[in-house]
Amino acid sequence: MALAVMLLKGASFHSGCCRHKVLLSLLGPLLGNSKLYSSYRRPGAEPEKTPSWQNVDFSFKKGIDHLKTQLSLLKKETQDYLKGPGGRPVSQHLLEQTRVLWQFRSQEDLNKWVVSSDVEIGGKSKVYIKLGRNNQAALLYGTLNTEVPRDGETKYSGYCSMRSRPAVGSFNRKKYYDWSNFNSLYLRVRGDGRPWMVNIYTDPYFSHQKDDLYSYFMFTRGGPYWEEIQIPFSKFFLSSRGRVQDNQHPVWLDKVRTLGFTIGDKVDGPFQLEIDFIGLLNDRAHREEFAYETYDKNTPV
Amino acid sequence: MNPQANLVFITSLLLGTTITISSNHWIMAWAGLELNTLAILPLISKSHHPRAIEAATKYFLVQAAASTLILFSSMTNAWQTGQWDISQLTCPVSCLILTAAIAMKLGLAPFHFWFPEVLQGSSLITGLLLSTAMKFPPITLLYMTSQSLNPTLLVTMAILSAALGGWMGLNQTQTRKILAFSSISHLGWMAIIVVYSPKLALLNFYLYALMTAAAFLTLNSINTLKLSTLMTTWTKTPALSATLMLTLLSLAGLPPLTGFLPKWLIIQELTKQEMAPAATLIALLSLLSLFFYLRLAYCATITLPPHTTNHMKQWHTNKPTSILIAILTTMSITLLPASPMILTIV
Repeated sequence: MALAVMLLKGASFHSGCCRHKVLLSLLGPLLGNSKLYSSYRRPGAEPEKTPSWQNVDFSFKKGIDHLKTQLSLLKKETQDYLKGPGGRPVSQHLLEQTRVLWQFRSQEDLNKWVVSSDVEIGGKSKVYIKLGRNNQAALLYGTLNTEVPRDGETKYSGYCSMRSRPAVGSFNRKKYYDWSNFNSLYLRVRGDGRPWMVNIYTDPYFSHQKDDLYSYFMFTRGGPYWEEIQIPFSKFFLSSRGRVQDNQHPVWLDKVRTLGFTIGDKVDGPFQLEIDFIGLLNDRAHREEFAYETYDKNTPV
Repeated sequence: MNPQANLVFITSLLLGTTITISSNHWIMAWAGLELNTLAILPLISKSHHPRAIEAATKYFLVQAAASTLILFSSMTNAWQTGQWDISQLTCPVSCLILTAAIAMKLGLAPFHFWFPEVLQGSSLITGLLLSTAMKFPPITLLYMTSQSLNPTLLVTMAILSAALGGWMGLNQTQTRKILAFSSISHLGWMAIIVVYSPKLALLNFYLYALMTAAAFLTLNSINTLKLSTLMTTWTKTPALSATLMLTLLSLAGLPPLTGFLPKWLIIQELTKQEMAPAATLIALLSLLSLFFYLRLAYCATITLPPHTTNHMKQWHTNKPTSILIAILTTMSITLLPASPMILTIV
């Protein structure tokens, strides 16, 4: 089909001839568009980017600098590999029962996270992140607005989220976290009573599963006291594109890519969440393997 | 799984293997390989976990591509020579394509990238089938065509497999991935000798299958999927931990255990064939895999971790060790004195 469009575009060069003008006016939209899909752009989405082949910078020096940074990253990775799994010695890997993943003490800790909201579909919620008092926590705050954008196809709106940036190794290769030694997520937070959803994204290899997300809820107290919330990984349920799946499976912790927090409790108004640190815990008292669908699916006849 | 379905899959696996190993027409060999591929796919994706489905998809894509290449190489040979006989593969292009195709089927470097992921996504028993039963038909094809294969390519792939299997297995913490890299490394040993002495390659495969089966079944009965779980097995089944250590050291090729036999014979044969540097190189590279076997043995048996449990022995074991584990472990540890007899059999 793309070939047909190219042939027609080639035909448009001969538009001087009046015989073809009628044909061209009919085929105008087909020839003018450079893409073969719907051109509706959601109100909050960014305008069309210039294609990547148009803004290539052939600067030799920049290329060399980029190569140098990647090679130094590769060297660091090799040194970490020689130390042991995950850059730590094996004894530490085998004996650890707690690990702090993200701590919010400086701006670069904040830069490891990305905030987004329903502005990307045309909604009106606002979300911001900054360092809290004395640089001791991250403050995620904003306003939730459930007003639905009027584009005729959206039915619900009103969500804000914060998601960790996926780790990237040398030469832009994907890096995964290995949390298999642990069985709970440990968060020190101070919320305002609103319920949050914690999402784990495992970034699967095939695109059919790219919307798979493992989620669970985090109910915060509103008080002035800090809370330490423990969420076992056995409680995370599988959803795809927001729909909870019938076929439930536990999250496999050997290849986790990002962690995220979302608020979408259909209540208009301001929200606030302070996070001191996010860590992992191996709770030996927690023996549950998986909380859902524990019945035998294939009972022998 | 539904017993009837299980029966169909297991029978198909056996049928596919039998068809390939007893064939002398390339189409029959290819048909057996395809039957094997299709039969093991539901076994890999049995649990329907997204990672298991991913593993099954990766396995299918790689194996289908490899089967296509095998068929293509046999076709080009048939065009050139007019016959489809497996042992008469004379066209040099066909030989090269076939070597690459069988390397993809087996998981020899540089076509090994699918193997750890597929093994990680499947259960331990399916992993055992993937490492042993699914490797048997391609090894047989290598055995049957060994006189026409390119030695340089095979030796290169073998040394690369031993190197990559050793290096990449070093930092793994998941037991299935460790066993996958051990498999890649052992396949390197098999591939290096197949041109000079195909019987030795087959002997290596049989002994490797024995030791791997013992290792996989032991790990299955103590249900360990990662290194940290292995640290607490001494409380549950102390005897099994001890035999697991010996099985792992046998896989590493240490005398006086069985695993030393194939390595010794292969190094001897390579030296006789004036390939002493290659023999030295592959022996040195298998030291890397010795490192991670030793690490597994340390975690399972040799060290006592301080923090994990506070009792010496659980008051009862959940299930008695099956007799198959006992037989396989005994054979994988004590067969070295019987090496003159083994040499006469193979």
